Amino acid sequence: MEKVKQKDLILYSGLIILGLVAPYLFSAFKVQLTYLCVLIVLAMTWNLQGGEMGYNSFGNILFYGLGMYLTASVQVGMFFPLAEWTESGGEKTFVHTTAQYFQGIGVGLLVAAIVPALVAGAIGYAILGLRGHYFAICTLGLGIAAGEIAGGIEIIGAGQGFTTPPFPAEIVDPEARGKFFYFTSFIVLVLAFIFVKYIYGSRFRLILNAIRDNEDKAEAMGIQTMKYKIVGWMVSAFFCGLAGGIMGGLIGYIDSTDVAFDGREMGVFMVLMAILGGKGTLWGPIIGATLFHFFKEGLWTFILGWQYVALGVLIVVIVIYFPEGLMGWLREKYPERFGEVIDEKDRKSQVELK
Amino acid sequence: MNKIAKLFITFISALTLTLTSITSSFAKVEDGMIVLGSAISLTGKYSSNGVHTQNGYNLAVDRINKMGGVKVGGKSYKFEIIYYDDESNPKRAAQLAERLIKQDGVHYMLGPYSSGLTKAIAPVTEKYKIPMVEANGASRSLFTKGYKYLFAVLSPANQYLEVAIDLAVEKNGGKGVKIAQAFEQDAFSQDVRLGILDAAKRTGSKIIIDDKLPKELNDMAATLAKVKATKPDVLVVSGHTKGALTAIRQISEMKVDVPMLAMTHCDAAKLSKQHGKKSEYALCASQWHKNLSYKDKFFGGGKKYDRDFKKEFGYAPPYQSAESSAALLVFKDAFERANSFDRDKVRDALKATDMQTFYGNIKFGPGGQNVAKPMILFQVRCKGDTCENKVVAPTKWASDKFFHPIPPWSERG
Repeated sequence: MEKVKQKDLILYSGLIILGLVAPYLFSAFKVQLTYLCVLIVLAMTWNLQGGEMGYNSFGNILFYGLGMYLTASVQVGMFFPLAEWTESGGEKTFVHTTAQYFQGIGVGLLVAAIVPALVAGAIGYAILGLRGHYFAICTLGLGIAAGEIAGGIEIIGAGQGFTTPPFPAEIVDPEARGKFFYFTSFIVLVLAFIFVKYIYGSRFRLILNAIRDNEDKAEAMGIQTMKYKIVGWMVSAFFCGLAGGIMGGLIGYIDSTDVAFDGREMGVFMVLMAILGGKGTLWGPIIGATLFHFFKEGLWTFILGWQYVALGVLIVVIVIYFPEGLMGWLREKYPERFGEVIDEKDRKSQVELK
Repeated sequence: MNKIAKLFITFISALTLTLTSITSSFAKVEDGMIVLGSAISLTGKYSSNGVHTQNGYNLAVDRINKMGGVKVGGKSYKFEIIYYDDESNPKRAAQLAERLIKQDGVHYMLGPYSSGLTKAIAPVTEKYKIPMVEANGASRSLFTKGYKYLFAVLSPANQYLEVAIDLAVEKNGGKGVKIAQAFEQDAFSQDVRLGILDAAKRTGSKIIIDDKLPKELNDMAATLAKVKATKPDVLVVSGHTKGALTAIRQISEMKVDVPMLAMTHCDAAKLSKQHGKKSEYALCASQWHKNLSYKDKFFGGGKKYDRDFKKEFGYAPPYQSAESSAALLVFKDAFERANSFDRDKVRDALKATDMQTFYGNIKFGPGGQNVAKPMILFQVRCKGDTCENKVVAPTKWASDKFFHPIPPWSERG
């Protein structure tokens, strides 16, 4: 037991060091690395209720978009009249000082984590009674509705879009902005990982699994499934909101349906990444997100205009050859490496039976 | 678990090696090439206009390279463009701009298609002090932010249809008119709307319908039903290519009678071809028309550009292509005047641009917008079954008289 822990320690410290030096090592790739961190957070937290709880949600994009708008609104609203800002498209008349910028984004991210979690609680209370396809379709509607509603609210820019505050001009180093967003996203990633890892070792995960495997039985055993389902979704929403807030600041321009409530892309990607890596595992979504990001960044430019066809092919290949995702496939192939004990005799006897 | 850990570590180290080898292997001006970068919408909702933009860029690059290239410091350089597909998505566009600048080492940018995408890219180019000449981001808010490295060869969006309202008022004997309007929920169309609001205030006109259209635009029957009921004097619709096509399709299906119909993006949508007689009398805002009398030595005049473009790509150039071609001419001119590849010198040269191209005069205002060129309006007119766009305003270039009011559907064959 001790030995395994030590190995884990080496792995984790290795990854953290890699994460810390990555923006210096690959200075030119900072934005892509930030995206990677955000994608991993989204996949990992989607996996909590999609993979562990068996509730396939297409609605997590709601929290992501909400976080994005909230961060930007708080960041502006703390110091300037928000309506005037958006009406002028973030005109140069309002300029954040360095201190204002960081205070704003700090408070903004906090709000962007808490409010979506509360919203998830409220919505979850209403719709987590639905199961299977009904839940999936209902959440799909949530993201679309949110996009249309946000596109009609003048104070956050409506169809014009919302320009988030530019990075303070007093910081001359052009790399500073990239570093700031990378490290913020990396910290969120580490926090999310620690939290998910903690959940994986807790009774909470077992309850989520019980809900996935047979909700009625779980309930019959005295588990208040509704309570756990809601908490599970709130955890996802918390991190989705943070991820959205960071992305809003990084992109610099929020559009209601294309950037914030981007169910067609981000909303689908987070599901896809979790499935690609293997849902219901700790490392699956992380590996899935990493592979997906590399596939997307590396390959897409070479097949200009055809990238979505390639993505479609990829999805088909995943579903046919890796229905359990990469981790599931590995587990089937090398079960002993996943700590599963195989009774050789039993296996042989099964083979002989055939 | 430890085997997995090893596997993971091997995987990551492999990635590390590949990535480090990719970085920093590009340069902006190499072997007599000036490399420009552009994120363009090849897929997604702006894909047709994205291709018009790309064709415009390519035609100009070809032409300039064939006619001797760009002369800087006594040496001749050729243009080359690195394209990425931004999927009509601002998020992707911003990321690609970063990629072009940081990874591909691009020092000069060409704009994407649409205001929304330009809005997403401009903060990035501004941050790295990369001069960007853009030809397809007309939103007014692009020019009020104090951007120093953004130059637009087109007139701002709020000017698109203001003239149409003036025309309607003039036809109404100087009295205010009743306006019905429907605009897509995007940066460009909403700016066109602001222009109409200004014009309405100025002329004492009343806006009786003010609808918003969704982004994936393929139905506006609700708005048209209201138009049928309230009988406005003018119907204004803006929603890029899809907006123009949807409007004409449903107006003819529902037989909506309105004395004047003003739109944007008619030529990009090839309205007169796609809908033929149904689109007759539609009034369209345009940045350019082939009949205008501007000239330059690369493309000759508008008519010649029209012919060359048709020969190359097999369809008549919409203004989106023309303005994109003009962006390259502006870049060439600026490089030669700066006589240097120093970015700030090139920027200063761009700022001082004052030239005529086949597309129109170009001179940049303090916000980076082109202040030397008016918008024009054309009207779709048909002879038999062939329909054409005829310029009706401003009067200096008008080839035909403005036909008003549109006859009711019961009288149209």
